[in-house]
Amino acid sequence: MWIYEKKLQYPARVCKADVKMAKYLIAQYGGPDGELAAALRYQTQRYTMPTGQSKATLTDIGTEEFAHLEIIATLVFKLLKGVPVEILKREGLGENYTEHGRGIFYSDTTGMPWTASYIQCKDDVIADLTEDMAAEEKARSTYEHLINLTDDPCVKDTLKFLREREIVHFQRFGETLGRVREFYESKKFY
Amino acid sequence: MYDYNINYNLPGLKLAQAYIPLQKYVSSYPPEEAIKKGTIFPELDIPYIREKMR
Amino acid sequence: MEIAQLSLLKKIMEIEFFCIDLNLYLDTHCQDQKAVQDYNFYSEQLNNLKEQYEKFYGPLSVFGYSKSQFPWKWVDDPWPWEIEY
Repeated sequence: MWIYEKKLQYPARVCKADVKMAKYLIAQYGGPDGELAAALRYQTQRYTMPTGQSKATLTDIGTEEFAHLEIIATLVFKLLKGVPVEILKREGLGENYTEHGRGIFYSDTTGMPWTASYIQCKDDVIADLTEDMAAEEKARSTYEHLINLTDDPCVKDTLKFLREREIVHFQRFGETLGRVREFYESKKFY
Repeated sequence: MYDYNINYNLPGLKLAQAYIPLQKYVSSYPPEEAIKKGTIFPELDIPYIREKMR
Repeated sequence: MEIAQLSLLKKIMEIEFFCIDLNLYLDTHCQDQKAVQDYNFYSEQLNNLKEQYEKFYGPLSVFGYSKSQFPWKWVDDPWPWEIEY
């Protein structure tokens, strides 16, 4: 069951009118290594996790990823708000505007729609957790690219927060792998 | 000829397995600082330093 | 959003973030007694702050988690992506 809280996890700000960034940021909204992929991957893998601990970690990190999805949407929303169509066209957002206006949609930077092909759920705890660790590193890497792409200190600040969360999540998935291994090893003795 | 009796000297560790050390919680940043850093744990606070020539 | 409201909202974000990061730690460290104590300490602080906020500014949550003044305040603007932080 999910409950929504009417606040962001982090106070996401935009200081400059860097409209192009909206196009790049969408990578972390509907792209292969983005927050939607992360949230849906963890939420669906959790059903076939073997221990209460692993179910908790997958559920909780998955929930946090929905909060991050909201932060990305907020940055894009703020970057596009009130921007005239002429400027959107000039900054390379004409295609996006055609299909979505200033709406926020689940696609990658090229406009390709999100697909469940970005995620996997194998009912194999080592495969699933290893994929999760890889996903966190890919997300961290994408955030670093995005940080390099902007000189807006406010956007950089939010991206640095999101990047650090990926590092923490990687640690937790790694620990979960260890805990699950302990669990299976303890079952061998009776 | 392969030598099958290689001593890897890896206590508790096995081949073809990934291991991440368990974090130990000792201290935390105060809340107002923690949210800015993106974690409450100093040992997990690994800031991004942009590589040169990229 | 007025300064006093935003300031309280930011404080809630800080304390809730602390709880979230500690929550994720506890999921893999269930036997860490100090961590559980710290989590409960900040959880209580969080609930007090939210109670304070909701008394003046309306519900932060739905589905029975928060009460509302009249008329139903959940629908009020601004929504989180519209706030100037």
